Amino acid sequence: MGPSDLDTDTEKEIPPDYVPAGMEKARPSIVDIPLSFLRALANLFMGLGRRVIAFGKWIVDKFLRFFKFFKNPGENSRELWYRTKTSLSAMRHEMDLLSWVQLGGIIVIFGGFLIAPLLSVVWGSFVTETGFSFDIIIQLFSSAAYVPQWLPQDFNWIRPTGAGIIEIWGIDLGIILNSVYVAIAVTVISVILGTTFAFIIARYEFPGKGILRTFLLFPMLSTPFIGAMGIKWFLGAHGFLNNIANELFAYFGLHWTRIEFHGLAAIIIVQGFSLFSLVYLNAYSSFMGIDPSLEEQAENLGATGFKLFRSVTLPLAMPGIQAGAILTFILSIEDLGTPIVYSEDLQAQKCLAFQVFDSIKAESGEINPLGPAIGMILLAFALTGFLAIRKYAALRNYASSSKGGQWNPRTRHLRRRSVFLMYLIVIPVLFFALIPQTSVILLSFSQYRSSALFPPLTLDNFNILGNRRIQGAIIRTIGYAGVATFGTVLLGVSAAYIISRRKIPGKTSLDLLVTSPIALPGIVIATGYFTLFYNTPFFPKNGPMFLIIMSFLVRKFPFTVRAAYAGLQQTPEVLEEAAQNVGASRNKTFTSIVFPLIGVSVLAGALLSFVYCVSEVSTSLLLGGANYYQAPLTFWINETYAGLPPIYGIGPAAALGVLMMLLQMIVIAVTNAILKTRASAMTGI
Amino acid sequence: MVEITLRNLRKTFGEVVATDDVNMVLEDGKLSTLLGPSGCGKTTLLRLIAGFYVPDRGKIFFDDREMTDIPPNKRNTGMCFQNYALWPHMTVFDNIAYGLKMKRVQGMRYTKAAIAKRVHNALDLVRMGGLAERTPHQLSGGQQQRVALARALVIEPDVLLLDEPLSNLDAKLRNEMREEILRIQGELGITTVYVTHDQIEALSISDMVAVMDLGYVQQYAPPREIYDHPQTLFVADFIGKCTFLDGSIESLGSELEIRLLDGQIVKGISPLEGYPFEMGENVRCAVRPEDLHVEPTNSNDNRISGIVDHVIFVGSNLEVHFSVGEISAVSLLPPESNIQKGSEINLYSPTSQMMVLPMGGVDALRKIPGHHLYDVSDESVG
Repeated sequence: MGPSDLDTDTEKEIPPDYVPAGMEKARPSIVDIPLSFLRALANLFMGLGRRVIAFGKWIVDKFLRFFKFFKNPGENSRELWYRTKTSLSAMRHEMDLLSWVQLGGIIVIFGGFLIAPLLSVVWGSFVTETGFSFDIIIQLFSSAAYVPQWLPQDFNWIRPTGAGIIEIWGIDLGIILNSVYVAIAVTVISVILGTTFAFIIARYEFPGKGILRTFLLFPMLSTPFIGAMGIKWFLGAHGFLNNIANELFAYFGLHWTRIEFHGLAAIIIVQGFSLFSLVYLNAYSSFMGIDPSLEEQAENLGATGFKLFRSVTLPLAMPGIQAGAILTFILSIEDLGTPIVYSEDLQAQKCLAFQVFDSIKAESGEINPLGPAIGMILLAFALTGFLAIRKYAALRNYASSSKGGQWNPRTRHLRRRSVFLMYLIVIPVLFFALIPQTSVILLSFSQYRSSALFPPLTLDNFNILGNRRIQGAIIRTIGYAGVATFGTVLLGVSAAYIISRRKIPGKTSLDLLVTSPIALPGIVIATGYFTLFYNTPFFPKNGPMFLIIMSFLVRKFPFTVRAAYAGLQQTPEVLEEAAQNVGASRNKTFTSIVFPLIGVSVLAGALLSFVYCVSEVSTSLLLGGANYYQAPLTFWINETYAGLPPIYGIGPAAALGVLMMLLQMIVIAVTNAILKTRASAMTGI
Repeated sequence: MVEITLRNLRKTFGEVVATDDVNMVLEDGKLSTLLGPSGCGKTTLLRLIAGFYVPDRGKIFFDDREMTDIPPNKRNTGMCFQNYALWPHMTVFDNIAYGLKMKRVQGMRYTKAAIAKRVHNALDLVRMGGLAERTPHQLSGGQQQRVALARALVIEPDVLLLDEPLSNLDAKLRNEMREEILRIQGELGITTVYVTHDQIEALSISDMVAVMDLGYVQQYAPPREIYDHPQTLFVADFIGKCTFLDGSIESLGSELEIRLLDGQIVKGISPLEGYPFEMGENVRCAVRPEDLHVEPTNSNDNRISGIVDHVIFVGSNLEVHFSVGEISAVSLLPPESNIQKGSEINLYSPTSQMMVLPMGGVDALRKIPGHHLYDVSDESVG
């Protein structure tokens, strides 16, 4: 008896004339599921492409509108004059003194410490002492290091060594394409991992779900910078994984060939495991935000299982997944920490972020003219990505998608057999996904250079906390982050209030401005600080302190402004109108009604901003270089990592990393408790 | 107390005209209702009066003080919001006391004792004494409504503004609160503007009703007048039930003769005084179900014949649905009438009850010399 017998059976039961005309044999689901999985993945990337193209069209459209103005200058300028007049009168009605001060503050800070430095980078890549020219750009694109050389050795990615170890490297396509393909690979890994985990958590009930969910919060905890240190040790030729495989193989009398990742391949692994949580969180909140009745309707019409997921659930969650994917791409391309950790492999230096870092001698303020040009390329990638998802990232969309708990999302209880099957897949995947965290923790407690399978545990690495320089850095960092967070709260609440409550022209641009720092590369901003401010009162030689604080303030601004905006959206405007109606002025309404109601959300956002300030890497490393004794903690972690054991070195650096993770864990636990369902979306980007 | 005058108000949101050409006088101490389907502009109009919107054009007066540019917190209006808008971080007492704490008269403010006294009086007025220390989420819908009302009234406003105050309550509570609002309004004699989409509610409580559609006030009159003499087709349709019969004008005069589509001729009177009807103009006759009778009362009565579709027994009456040609019509007949489905039926309606209305809505009103919309359209044409 085979399946074909069963087929004939059913054919007997249902006479052929029962089948309506125009039907054909359906594909069996065994073929159908993988096929449509692939198609879904392809769709995702096509969707991303369409988004970028749509963005291009948008830009062209804006340009055309600008030029159309001159076709009919008389009428158009009258129109413009009329529009300005009405917007000005709208402004007069909407804005009072306080609002003007708030708006002014935001524009001055963002203009001065975000827009101006970025423009200065762009300026610096076109204008030299000889005037405006494309010389630097041409030099860049004609340099052998930056464009693919297509040499056979560039594609040699499996390299056995004399010591019987196989090294896996990336292929080398020149600095620009290297960064791009690494980021794409990282995005693919993140999308597959993140979407799968998000779907499992969002739609199934099974024993151990709570634990899995908590574990999935961990990847958020560390930047790739810290994770890279752990992974490098953990996956090294004589690291834990190779050791254990070696022991296992030896036990069965086999020979294990040790494998080690190097260069760009290592960067892909580290970033993929560290950044997939971005996709996970965005996909998760998208899945949870789907109105259950939409899925129930599809089920009612006969779609179940994978078909339902593919036809209804996934398309509805697509904007969130795409946004997560694009952010992953941006964060991957601008990540500086991983290449630095792996920088002893020369190939790992061949990416854009490292080249920008390398072009500036922070101690002397000397800038290689190529630096701004490379920064501009990074900026172009980041801006394109951000603007392609601008609607998704904008405050207005964000708040509406984060109203958790409107309905009970559909979850299904899994049968015991399915749970077992799922664990069989999920646990190994999770094991790998958590390597960045577990390895750092393990490393911090391991004795230096022990070759034992289970290295003896020790607390020696934490002696680094007794180091005066490190203590200074910790106290300084908390100070910097505290001041910056105070600023973000002050300006963040103002920005959120203006965007959500004042009907003024240009609100969309303001929204775009205050949310853009999530995507703008810190390394480019820091470069801009050097080109624009070096040796001015803002940035005296040896004095990066003020700009470190400003960079924290601007770069970690989105977390607070989002929290405040979400709080405002959940506070109906009628509550304010009711206060005005019984005689309270706008300012009084703000202090007595608005602030008490959104205070908790703001607090949560501020905590997030704070903790992300503390763990900020790229600007800290670059600006900190100008004066070690004003540099924040991440700079000192890097110094510790590069220093010599036993006082410095990899173990103590991991200990500091664990300290940072601990702080992040506490803050995320607190914000989760405060914000409940909203937290996942807020920490998402 | 004040009289509210709205002059030529217009408010747009981008391309959308929310309300336009509003000219009304809401009389001192009267309860006026803004009635219409959702999106008709009634809430916009209320919020213009409260000051949350600034009109694009036109003026608002409280008595002879112009309020158009006065911010909402200086207008001394008491507003009840549709979802009550009670501040969740304050107790009932604090919610009600808030407006009193804000009040300043020549640099003076209420003492604590005065505030407490007034709040408790207000709570007594809405029959909520003893619940002052509750927080809003500990209250039922009806109680929240009462607190919102107390909060609006405690500041002794010149105008009480109610935005669909009963729409979130169940049917029984709604009747109770309606009585309550009428009682309080009567006791205080306060000028009140009441927004609703419920025609029964509007007819039963109002001194004056403004029926709104598509941003225009279609008719502003006492309830009885609205029901008996609707000025536009929309009003006739929206208020009560009506059977509409299409036709064209056969002869002019104080009684108009209309030839219906199926050839029958009916006579009727237009409730629109001064409208320049023309021969052959397409019009619509409206007749209330209770104005169609089995027997003629007068030899002059219109006879309308049709085929019975179905009959519904509604207790006090029979609701007979029948077709006149293509048109479906309805009449209320005495319960003892013996009417069979599918049979032919002849019904009679007095000429005075056959209302002849021009096609179109506000644009028809614009053709009437002396109507306030007439001048406006003239200006825009000229």
